[in-house]
Amino acid sequence: MISPAFASILASGRAQFNGRAAEARRRFPALDMAAFGAFLHDGVDPLVAAVDAAAPERAGSVTLAAYDMALELVGHGLAGPAAKNPFLNGVWRALAPQFAPLLATAAVDVLGLLSNAAIHLAGVAGARPAQWQRELAALAPQISAVADLRAVGQVLAWRAGVAHFRLGALAAADTLPPALALAAFGEPGAHWPHVHAQLLANPWRGNAEGREFGSFSGFGGAFGTPPQVRATAEGFVVCSGERHYLLVADACGAVLHGATAEEYAQASSDVPASVRLEGAAVQIGARRIELDLPAGEIAIAANAHTVAITSPYTHAIRLLPLV
Amino acid sequence: MSAFNLFQRLSQAPTKPKAAPAARQFDVADLYQGPIALGGDGEAQARPFDEKLRQAYFWIVNHAIISPHYDIEYNDGPSQTYAVGDSRRTLNLPSAQSYSSFILLPLLTFATRRKCLFVGGPGRGKTASALLMGVLAGSTVKEVKRAMQHGHPQMTVADLLGNPLPADLVNAQSMDDIRIAWRAWLGMRVKIVDEYNRIPTRTQSALLTVMGDNYAEVLNHIYECPEAAWYLTANDDQGGGTYQVIEALRDRVDVTVQALAFNPRFLSELLLRVEENVRPEELVPPEIIFTEAEVDQIGASIRQVAVPDAVRRRLEFFASQFELFETAGGQFEYMTKDTARLSGADRGAAQAADNGRDRLKDLGCQTLNGISVRTLMALLIYAKAMAYFRGTSEVALEDLRQVLPFVLHNKLQPDPDAPFFALPENAAYRSDRLGWLRRLFDLSNDEFNRLDLDRDDPVGVLSAEFDLGLDGVSERETLARLNRIEKLIGERTKGRKLYGPLYDDLLKLKYLHQRYTNYRSWLRSQ
Repeated sequence: MISPAFASILASGRAQFNGRAAEARRRFPALDMAAFGAFLHDGVDPLVAAVDAAAPERAGSVTLAAYDMALELVGHGLAGPAAKNPFLNGVWRALAPQFAPLLATAAVDVLGLLSNAAIHLAGVAGARPAQWQRELAALAPQISAVADLRAVGQVLAWRAGVAHFRLGALAAADTLPPALALAAFGEPGAHWPHVHAQLLANPWRGNAEGREFGSFSGFGGAFGTPPQVRATAEGFVVCSGERHYLLVADACGAVLHGATAEEYAQASSDVPASVRLEGAAVQIGARRIELDLPAGEIAIAANAHTVAITSPYTHAIRLLPLV
Repeated sequence: MSAFNLFQRLSQAPTKPKAAPAARQFDVADLYQGPIALGGDGEAQARPFDEKLRQAYFWIVNHAIISPHYDIEYNDGPSQTYAVGDSRRTLNLPSAQSYSSFILLPLLTFATRRKCLFVGGPGRGKTASALLMGVLAGSTVKEVKRAMQHGHPQMTVADLLGNPLPADLVNAQSMDDIRIAWRAWLGMRVKIVDEYNRIPTRTQSALLTVMGDNYAEVLNHIYECPEAAWYLTANDDQGGGTYQVIEALRDRVDVTVQALAFNPRFLSELLLRVEENVRPEELVPPEIIFTEAEVDQIGASIRQVAVPDAVRRRLEFFASQFELFETAGGQFEYMTKDTARLSGADRGAAQAADNGRDRLKDLGCQTLNGISVRTLMALLIYAKAMAYFRGTSEVALEDLRQVLPFVLHNKLQPDPDAPFFALPENAAYRSDRLGWLRRLFDLSNDEFNRLDLDRDDPVGVLSAEFDLGLDGVSERETLARLNRIEKLIGERTKGRKLYGPLYDDLLKLKYLHQRYTNYRSWLRSQ
């Protein structure tokens, strides 16, 4: 059963809603009306009910916007019970209603931002969309403008593992009220300019251990053969078999992008003097890190802030903070 | 919120993705890029105009004109081919982004403000395509339709250009006092003449002035027309119109495209239009409407596209094949097909006297004429426009190869009596002129490769040496160069038959010889 508010709006605009559905069916021949119906029940109804509670006079226009958007998302196979990734369903069902006051004033923008971000995050291997949703929901009461929602969403996307958004997210955080920016970083009592400067200077701030990335593609990992790595300013160019990638990593996560053989050829295999390999251990300045890898064929590459360690005996890349 | 726009959607993805640049810039705003179009936030990105042009192309092919004929084929690797039917014609599946000539060539005409002729049977979208180009230029459908000139057998010059005001005709003391009510279409940035082969010959001459010189004249009054793209249509351009098209008018046409048959497999598209009661030309997205300044800028950018020497040389070699007619002239410079044409002499008799050459191998034997300067300029412009459209900064040989048949379609006349057409495998080229012209260019390139002219071109070397200038060249050096020219002429003419490229090389060498001779005389007078 859908909520009375939603049922009433659908009934009052029955012909119009049916017309829109018929039009969408022509545009998306694969649009499954049963799946659309399920998404109306599961995804649209909660947010219409929430808006109806917060601003009943806006429930009609929000429903119209959500209905059209739902048709498009289900038509693309991105939402509904048959969606390739169910994350978007959860965002509509659980996250969007948290922003009912904002939805009432800018339904297309809010739903569009949340939907596009959910689709993007669900498509980034290594990202943690559930963390993004949880943290954004927690901050919802503090977000009163679409611009703030946009910036907080970007900051939290980076913190949820989308490492290549780091600089953009820091710039977005600067547009937020300091209290909201600090809340987005989970450091409510700190001094924002100080935190910002530290985040800018050290990509590994808050994670001294580094991380391991990649595994055998046969087990759902990224690499078909043990990777080789070279350094660039923005990350590491990885060669695995005939394929090349750009690996961007920091304290929040690691993301793999496509790259070319030319980029690999142009990347540096130099290592700073402070980093050296000693048997099965890496010496970074005064730090010594023992590796659980056979000694002798370990390779290292380093850029300004990270050391990457590879071995022909593993499909994983060890990433260690340099500072 | 507006309802869905079935016909106004533009691709959000770049239409011609390029390899990622070495230095990457990740944009956090990508988080919100997705299938849902957000409300305007004032951050609309200005697109490069070549991308806008491609957006326009893809909107037209996907939503407006149903022309699923990808006859301009590009490959970036091996392509799959199939031999089909008794004739074993090749069906090619291109491995790179390929295009429909019926949409692309008119669009390039729009971008370069040239003149395009649509040919093909009735109801195949010729006029609709021209109409769309008018809408792309910012006019409403109604304005374009009203400004469109429809050729008919009673069309007068006044119908075409405008009338003197009747009151002035009675009261005027001189011609200057007569005001002219000019037709609105003369001021349009896209000019459309429907069924131009139904216009009487005298009116065609008035049209020629507008097309050729961009002004109209009535009773000594001149109307200067703005720079415009022209679209002409003809159901039958081979003499089936009411009037014979005067040759000069036909020569003003830069490119000819054929409207191909409708593929009934796409009937569902027509059904959708019937059911939705939509006319695509009325739904052109505002994002692909071009301002006058934008078309100016596109034109300037197209002219900046480079033509590499290697590509230019191939075109030179190709164009050299066709003008030579050895028996037409007694003097070396006059041995051309144009000399024979001007004389009105019996071509067959002159051809019969021209023996000894390999008439199958000589591409010049396949045509009745050569390539004019105007045609060569059109070829260069369209090749540049094609490269610009594909997002590259210099013309590739394939760009030239793809536009060449459409530019030469009405210009290079085949000789149906040529031995080439008598071969069974070439019989189809009698009717498929585009295929024949492409084949002609391929044969020319094969010969270019066989002669290894990319690496061994002594005339090119001498020419490049001369292009460095004569300042400071000594008399001794001048004499040395004269000797080299004479020696090369001796080598090139020894025991060889005269073919078009050799003829042009010899004329170039004669030109260089003359310039050095004059320079030597000047040196001696100092």
